[in-house]
Amino acid sequence: MKKSLAAVFRKELIHIFRDKQSLFMVLTMPLMMLLLYGYAINLDMRGIEITVSDRSLSPRSGELIRHLEATEFFHVTVAGGGVSDVGDLFRSRRAQCVLEIPGDYADLLAAGKTAPLLLAIDASDPNGANFIGNYVARVVSLSFGERQGLFALEPRIFYNPDMRSAPFFVPGLIALILLLICALLTSIAIVREKETGSMEQLLVSPVRPWQIILGKVLPYTFLGFLDGLMILGAGRLLFRIPVEGSLLLVMAMMLIYVVTGLSLGMLVSTIASTQAVAMLATVSLTVLPSMLMSGFIFPVSSMPPLFQLVSRIIPATYFLEIIRGILLKGNSLADLYRPGGILLGLDGILILLSIRAFRIRLE
Amino acid sequence: MGRIKALVIKEFRQIRRTRAYLGLIFVAPFVQLIVMGSAITNEVKDIPLIVVDGDHSPASREIINRFSALSLFDFRGVADSTVRADRLFDRGEIKAALVIPRGFERDMGRGLSPQIQVLIDGVDGNSAGVSLGYITSMAGEIQKGWIGSRATGAGAEIVPRFYYNPGLESKLNFVPGLIGILLFMITSMLTAINIVREKELGTLEQLMATPLGGIRLIVGKIIPFTVLGLVQFSVGLIAARLVFGIPVAGNLLLLYFMALLFIMSTLGLGIFISTVTSTQQQAMFVAWFSMIFALLLSGFFVPVGNMPPLVQKITLLNPLRYFMSVLREIYLKGTPFRYLLPEAAAMGGMGIGLITAATLRFHRRLE
Repeated sequence: MKKSLAAVFRKELIHIFRDKQSLFMVLTMPLMMLLLYGYAINLDMRGIEITVSDRSLSPRSGELIRHLEATEFFHVTVAGGGVSDVGDLFRSRRAQCVLEIPGDYADLLAAGKTAPLLLAIDASDPNGANFIGNYVARVVSLSFGERQGLFALEPRIFYNPDMRSAPFFVPGLIALILLLICALLTSIAIVREKETGSMEQLLVSPVRPWQIILGKVLPYTFLGFLDGLMILGAGRLLFRIPVEGSLLLVMAMMLIYVVTGLSLGMLVSTIASTQAVAMLATVSLTVLPSMLMSGFIFPVSSMPPLFQLVSRIIPATYFLEIIRGILLKGNSLADLYRPGGILLGLDGILILLSIRAFRIRLE
Repeated sequence: MGRIKALVIKEFRQIRRTRAYLGLIFVAPFVQLIVMGSAITNEVKDIPLIVVDGDHSPASREIINRFSALSLFDFRGVADSTVRADRLFDRGEIKAALVIPRGFERDMGRGLSPQIQVLIDGVDGNSAGVSLGYITSMAGEIQKGWIGSRATGAGAEIVPRFYYNPGLESKLNFVPGLIGILLFMITSMLTAINIVREKELGTLEQLMATPLGGIRLIVGKIIPFTVLGLVQFSVGLIAARLVFGIPVAGNLLLLYFMALLFIMSTLGLGIFISTVTSTQQQAMFVAWFSMIFALLLSGFFVPVGNMPPLVQKITLLNPLRYFMSVLREIYLKGTPFRYLLPEAAAMGGMGIGLITAATLRFHRRLE
């Protein structure tokens, strides 16, 4: 019994090591993705091109421009006589926003009144436009000195005080890579045997079906697990990702999630007949939804209600909650019984489904 | 010429025969646009929030009322102590909390400017920043109401005007970008897989043994896949208009011309991938990963200007980066060709370069 399982396991390892190109990709791709996400995804804006259309040409307007120039956020161009065609500035991408200082600016201020400053923003990137609007408003109000309000706000940011993007993405990346490797490689490995016809040969051999599946699946479990640990280690070294909670708990949860990936892969392998179909089906049925609808990048609470419902049956949603909770918030098992329980439940359903599907295929 | 025509006819026959292709070209873009266009948003809405009220005064109640009425927040009630707030944060049930201190109203009356603590879950840094912005501007509004309309002294007020997307809707930014991504995916992947499949089957060598030659063979592959790409692009445009109600502000002909240049570069990439791989599985792997890299470095999620200088230089090698800005410029802003010349030149140059490189590799394999 054990012997045949070990034999299938060994055979699969040989397959893995023979295809050096794929193995290389499986081991380096997660690191490349980590570097890309870590360095390329930076939501802090800087070097915003702002054109100031100064129709006032007064010491007061000059003072305001100096305040804008003093921040790193802006790259200021002053148009002395004013700007005639804002649209052309935006279309040629020479400016992202245009601040219009009116001709009576100095007079209004001298009279002790509030002067309106028209700020035209290119909102084709709405997120950026929002940031720019807030930032200009802040610089302008600071340039008139901090006035004491009736009350003040004292912000305290928990878990990720500098609001960096890496602590948010790296745990998510572990979830994504684990799923990608486990589901994709398993489905391809099983379908390959179907395609070449060797699966039927294996099935008529004295090796039991569960031994075939387990023996094929286990090596990929190790690969996926290894990738997860690699990302965790590299994330810690390169991007100072904290591990607030227990590392052992992280690994235990990773194991539960690996099972999710494997059963998804097995499920796909029962419906796909060629490797190409298996790959496309895995990517579009498991990887894309997990990437888009789990809260990996985009907050679930901002999605349409229907998509929020879909996100609740995606295992990655719960795993993300768990792994971010442990790594960033220091959650213990007591905080995680709900997402942990649901993840286990989904695992159970998936395993039952894939066993059923496999049995039907056998007959 | 006649030989290329025969080859093109053969390709079209094969495409028509493969049901999956037709689904990929006509159905998938619709479905993917709908799903992704709705799921991908960086608007921040329904932030779960509680207020810890230590004052129980008319002032603190007004603050609670104002925040609970705002649709940006998902108001989860009032708590008595921060201990409860801490637990809710740990479980991820709330993302923001306001803590109004005891004696808040009294201190305001004395002009002591008491502090309201704003607690925010910073795990998602972007959402945290946006939430803090909402809370700050809401607090500003409440204060303004309390101070009343009496003169506040000389000052300036920003009156923002948002061009091209007044409602600041994410979909106007993401949907045109998605059309480009889908085009990249289909054209580069299909070409790579199509050629590698012929390699695997051995039919490619048979074709090469005919008097066709490498260049004609490649042209015979490029024409049908360009047509497919343009058809799929049109399906994307129609879907964007029908499903999301996003019209093209600029010149449609210019958009198609740019799409053609872009398809040249993605087909070049696909053919190139087919020359460096030997099985369909490998081709798919390489195509898939080049897509992920192209996607991340295209400015789709994150503006290229935010990236570190070195990464910005790398993005110059990415055809999707150029097409991404072309799509957004023409779609939303109606930008004329003269401002898009650099992008056109880059995509055209890359297309020619990649196709030449692929043809040369093809020839080398022949000998």
